[in-house]
Amino acid sequence: MSLNLQLTNEIAHQAAEKAKEGTPELPNFITLLYDKFGKVAVIGFLHHWENVVFAWMIAILICFVAYLAYRKKTLIPGGLQNFVEMVVEALDNFICGILGPRGRKFTPFLGTLFIYILCMNLFGLIPVMKSPTSNLNTTVSLAICVFFYVQYTGIRSLGIVGYLSHMAGDPRDLVTWCLVPINIPIHIVEELARPLSLSLRLFGNITGEDVLITVFVGLGVSALSFLHLPVGLPFQLPFIFLALLTGTIQALVFTLLSTIYFSLMLPHDEH
Amino acid sequence: MSYQTALAIFLPLGLAIAAIGSAFGLGRAVSAAMEAMGRQPEAAGKIQLGMIIGCALIEALTIYALVTLFVLQGKIS
Repeated sequence: MSLNLQLTNEIAHQAAEKAKEGTPELPNFITLLYDKFGKVAVIGFLHHWENVVFAWMIAILICFVAYLAYRKKTLIPGGLQNFVEMVVEALDNFICGILGPRGRKFTPFLGTLFIYILCMNLFGLIPVMKSPTSNLNTTVSLAICVFFYVQYTGIRSLGIVGYLSHMAGDPRDLVTWCLVPINIPIHIVEELARPLSLSLRLFGNITGEDVLITVFVGLGVSALSFLHLPVGLPFQLPFIFLALLTGTIQALVFTLLSTIYFSLMLPHDEH
Repeated sequence: MSYQTALAIFLPLGLAIAAIGSAFGLGRAVSAAMEAMGRQPEAAGKIQLGMIIGCALIEALTIYALVTLFVLQGKIS
């Protein structure tokens, strides 16, 4: 009850504070701590690096679940190990369905990307938590990882000459050789636009959902403001479900597009 | 007209126009997916997956307009 009161006060306080700058945001436990004990150095540090702290928390949580699932490896799994193996197998089928059997060695990276982004997106729906993906820095760092891994895979599997010829559109006869000066800038811009679009799509969707939920929470609280009690009508409930759906879809789309970028970079005339 | 007034008028207007475009695109994509699912119900799973991904890509363009709004909305006073 007192947490609810604190949250309500926090919403009003932050709404007034952030009315001039930044998008409206629900308080999370770091901002609540910062509001109470702002002078303590540790809390100030945590508040400054809020998104990184949440991202680390989620990563450690996922590692912990994986550790729990594999403490005793049985051939016929049950319980948590079964669930985790189901997830891994579904991701493996999905990725190898696009990349073919050579996609097996990209499953760890792409599967982890999916699980991590899904957990980050859904984390913000827990009452005093925040999605790190609602900050552009997190999504850009994920997109840059994908970008560099794709280029590295291209150079590794095609060789330097093959990579450059892929950039120039694989010139074979006179017509394609003449089109090389057009193809190279187009390909470079396309390669650079990919991480841009990946990061902006994820950031925009998750921030949009968070802002929507925040606005409806504020609406619900102000609907009962005549009571002068720290309660509010739960107007944000349908939007929490919408955020569940779009969080999952955005994680899927990020992973799928990364997989497609891999399949476009690798030699795709084998099968 | 100060830049704040211009931003206040044209940012939501730009977002609304982007939303109209994506509404048309999404309507076409979903209707094509529904028709394909009706023709071949056993492929419904794959068609639905493709539809979701296509919808996310179409939606992304409106999201870019939304991101522009987030970036610039602090400047309206």
